[in-house]
Amino acid sequence: MTRLNGGLIDRNSPISFTFNGMTYGGFQGDTLASALLANDVQMVGRSFKYHRPRGIFSAGSEEPNAMVELRSDARQEPNTRATVTELFDGLDAKSQNHVGPLKYDLMAVNDLLAPFLSAGFYYKTFMWPRAFWEKLYEPAIRRAAGLGSLSMLPDPDEYDRGYLHCDVLIIGGGAAGLMAALTAGRSGAQVILADEDFRFGGRLLAERQMLEGQPAPAWVDNTLDELRAMANVRLMSRTTVFGAYDHGVFGAVERVSDHLVSPAAGRVRQTLWRITAKRSILAAGATERHIPFANNDRPGIMLAGAMRAYANRWAVAPLRPSDAGVAIFTNNDDGHRTANDLIANGAKVFGVVDVRQNAPRLGDYLLLSGSMVTNTRGRHRVSAIEVTQDGTPTWYPVGALAVSGGWNPNVHLASHHRGRPVWDEGLLAFVPSETGPSGLIPAGAARGHGSTEAALKDGDQAASHALAQIGMASVPPTIPQALEESQAQDAFWHVPGQKRAWVDFQNDVTVKDIKLAHQENMKPVEHLKRWTTLGMATDQGKTANVSALAVMAELTGKAIPETGTTIFRPPYTGVSMGVLGGGDSGHDFRPERRTPTHSWAKDHGAVFVEVGQWMRAQYFPQPGESHWRETVDREALAVRSAVGICDVTTLGKIDVQGRDASEFLNRIYANMMATLPVGKTRYGLMLREEGTLYDDGTCARLGEAQYVVTTTTANAATVYRKMEFARQCLWPDLDVSLISTTDAWAQLAVAGPKSRELLSRIVDDFDLSNEAFPFMACAELSICKGLRARLFRISFSGELAYEIAVPARFGNALMERLMTIGADLGVTPYGTETLGVLRIEKGHATANELTGQTTAAMLGLGRMVSQKKDSIGALMSRREGLASDTRRLVGFKPVNAAEPVVAGSHLFANGVPQQTDTDQGWITSACYSPHLACHIGLGYLEHGDTRMGEIVTAANPLQGQSVDVEVVSAHFVDPEGVRLRD
Amino acid sequence: MTDLSPITALGAQTLWAETAGALLMSENSNLGLASLALPKGSLHPSPFDLTLPDVGAAVSNSTYGAFWTGPNQWMIEGYEHGETDFAADVKAQASEAYVTEQTDGWCAFDVRSSDDGAALDALLQRLVNLDPSALLPGCVARTGLHHMSVFVIRRTTDHVTLIGMRSFAHSLRHAVQKAADRLTT
Repeated sequence: MTRLNGGLIDRNSPISFTFNGMTYGGFQGDTLASALLANDVQMVGRSFKYHRPRGIFSAGSEEPNAMVELRSDARQEPNTRATVTELFDGLDAKSQNHVGPLKYDLMAVNDLLAPFLSAGFYYKTFMWPRAFWEKLYEPAIRRAAGLGSLSMLPDPDEYDRGYLHCDVLIIGGGAAGLMAALTAGRSGAQVILADEDFRFGGRLLAERQMLEGQPAPAWVDNTLDELRAMANVRLMSRTTVFGAYDHGVFGAVERVSDHLVSPAAGRVRQTLWRITAKRSILAAGATERHIPFANNDRPGIMLAGAMRAYANRWAVAPLRPSDAGVAIFTNNDDGHRTANDLIANGAKVFGVVDVRQNAPRLGDYLLLSGSMVTNTRGRHRVSAIEVTQDGTPTWYPVGALAVSGGWNPNVHLASHHRGRPVWDEGLLAFVPSETGPSGLIPAGAARGHGSTEAALKDGDQAASHALAQIGMASVPPTIPQALEESQAQDAFWHVPGQKRAWVDFQNDVTVKDIKLAHQENMKPVEHLKRWTTLGMATDQGKTANVSALAVMAELTGKAIPETGTTIFRPPYTGVSMGVLGGGDSGHDFRPERRTPTHSWAKDHGAVFVEVGQWMRAQYFPQPGESHWRETVDREALAVRSAVGICDVTTLGKIDVQGRDASEFLNRIYANMMATLPVGKTRYGLMLREEGTLYDDGTCARLGEAQYVVTTTTANAATVYRKMEFARQCLWPDLDVSLISTTDAWAQLAVAGPKSRELLSRIVDDFDLSNEAFPFMACAELSICKGLRARLFRISFSGELAYEIAVPARFGNALMERLMTIGADLGVTPYGTETLGVLRIEKGHATANELTGQTTAAMLGLGRMVSQKKDSIGALMSRREGLASDTRRLVGFKPVNAAEPVVAGSHLFANGVPQQTDTDQGWITSACYSPHLACHIGLGYLEHGDTRMGEIVTAANPLQGQSVDVEVVSAHFVDPEGVRLRD
Repeated sequence: MTDLSPITALGAQTLWAETAGALLMSENSNLGLASLALPKGSLHPSPFDLTLPDVGAAVSNSTYGAFWTGPNQWMIEGYEHGETDFAADVKAQASEAYVTEQTDGWCAFDVRSSDDGAALDALLQRLVNLDPSALLPGCVARTGLHHMSVFVIRRTTDHVTLIGMRSFAHSLRHAVQKAADRLTT
């Protein structure tokens, strides 16, 4: 055991956990990393490319090495950082990225092959033979790529989402964040304080710091007590603000149950919060840099600040009692604090190796000034370091090595709006610039004010600025007294040498790789990243990017800011797909719309089909029908011989009223609408601005100044939106009002020769005769003893047909009534499949034909585009490119009636090669016609209207089909239109 | 009176209602709705003695209400008029206006909390991107809820009505119910 005394762990709450099948013990307050260290588990994984042994490197979310698979079975989660995983009883973790036992990874052979695996090696290596790329190289590379594994089981957990609003969002609960929260909270602002840690305090928990004469954690506790007592402050621990978005919106994940084995019943695992803040304060602290040197990636080598945190907060040091002491390698004063803290906590210290010639003596330990660590030894953990002083290398046994190369402010969220950080030569670090997200104020270490005293002051000032910007007065600050720590550092970025010195641990990028990239002219930082994969792993280069820039700067002879900057994208740390989904999965993944007769259809065995968001009855199988075609054939024949009912509520319905409604519709429709008499319905075409067909449907005139426009189901919303745009923006002078009534009315198509007879049984004193209510008539009437309804005599099937609309709540009952009283007429419900068959038989166009590239002329409706008035798209429809299109909608029947017609087939003259330049059109819709007892199709064919009777080839190369079809009229049924006018 | 039996937006004969902690959620099928738009240049009518409200506001008396839906557009509510031809009633009150029947275009869910609105605010935080502290009684907003468009009307501190498209009733109920349930666990 390597536990020290003290710390912020609860030794009265022991915790049992497993790592790689071994059971260990820890305490409440531990992270998985601190508990592993306490159990002398140093080696926790293998590196990505070379499969080198790796240990715990940091104590926070920047961790590049200690990635584990957490939990098992369906809850198995790869790439979980041990350094931020809160220890819980029953935690089960496994190391990842090795074949065989962790210590004897078979893939470690990669390390021997390192000379062949340099930066960009697969771009250069897998060039030939060309055919090998898809079949061999890429599958092999893909197998090797990625860290960890998935269970491939559905995620069993629930997630939630929500929205929060505040005056000031404070990101980070360390010294600056807590002070900002105090100032803003005391001033009465609505405050959210979020921190990714399970305990507020940030570095105050990791240092031996006195505040107001008491240990810093005590000040943190007192501060939290005060904040908790404020109703206007919301404290959110275990919450990572992962992204800054437009208009003061932030994304955050609250880990509600990740510190439990599994969430309690009904409790969510994580919640996705969208936080809207008037102002935000980025108090996310800083991340310590390391200094690359030869073999700097061994377990037992970690950041000096992290080692200090493990000693102070978690009471653990990464060495055994029998080990030699800890060495500290640094270029700055802060590294010396680690030595002092380790000594104070009873850990053995070898000494401090400081690159500065005149390094200050800040404690009672061996100080090697003007020295650098030039190599290390130790197979599974560091056991010795080579220190070079004045050109003379000397090996020293050590138990662990702490490295400090200075601190990088956590500028991540400040660069989410492409805010470019700027170089501060005094701090030797990038700091947030003014170009970051609007309203975001960096504070404390996140903008380079990293000493405790500076951070506290800066937090208060940031809060005051935020409040001032939103017009709130701030209370006078009471900033606790803290000792100012020495921050001096020298610019020292890496130890020169020939051996591999790691810059990016997670993606195995070394100084040599950067040199190679430079040699191969991949000098711009974006090229460097992609050539070497630097910063592209799950840690996104938090500990690597700036060091890499410094190395490249040295190679190019430029200053660091001239070499480039790296900015960060959301998310700050990985976010699970489950929580991004917001909690609903499976059936509830997205909302669905149900028709008014959904209940009836379900009760009668309907098979449903998704049509956009709608669930529509596709067909109604009857006992004895074993194939959908049997059902559809029966339904279609029933409509043609008797009467059928189909719910067509999903068609868009738009109520248009106003003194200028006629003129408005004249401009919307390509054909004339103003001349439509009251009580009549007209088929209408809408064009896109560029002249192609947009939508079609009927327009019924219910009164002098009231119309009902129907749209296709697919375009219900877009047509309404387009009409609103026209009303508000194109012709605001017109007096017209629009509102959707799609959901308000249940609308049923009643089609077939017996439809009039059926409807006559429900109308209240209404004359349905052909003379009184002819084809294309419409009326408001009452049915079923007083229920208001609308009746339209329109036909999609080509039969005598009506559409009847009633308030939606009565749709289900109307369906039941019609089915009951029409039983003797052979009334049959039919679904969308039969609807499609009927309309293809009749030659009516639908979305298949209105592709966005088709014209009215192609449908044979060119004359509908009125020349007497202007309308959207009319002028453009006459341009040569469209007007000269000779393709026309026609019908197709197979020469051999047993052969299928397949939608999507392309049309060719018989006997010619089937290629692009001989393509003459395509089949848009096809079905089996029970009426004709063969397959039929609709399609566009060059000069199709003049080629009746010609045999052409419908080719479907994807399925190897080639069928001879006869060009026929698109109207397979009743081409004269007698039935629907009967 | 028709001899057809209506069903609720949720497809049932009876109204859905459920409690979750301090929250009582209930379907309201007796809310009559009609849209009212003003012809250009016309004066504001006062249907049912209601003063048509300004942007983002709702007004009501014991029987009727109105809320703003757009420039010169309102939705008129008849609290016990779900079964009647409410649009005709509104038209009779505002003969110059363009009135359209909307009752069955929507489904309405009332959510009340028994803790002076605290649970209601928490529920709203889970459902809509509106600041509960700004959504005061008498406020209305049209916003997205689980990818559906809804009107949120704050009747009182402890009472909100969510009005969504009728065809989405099941999904809206699911969203509300699920969010409320999660608050109680």
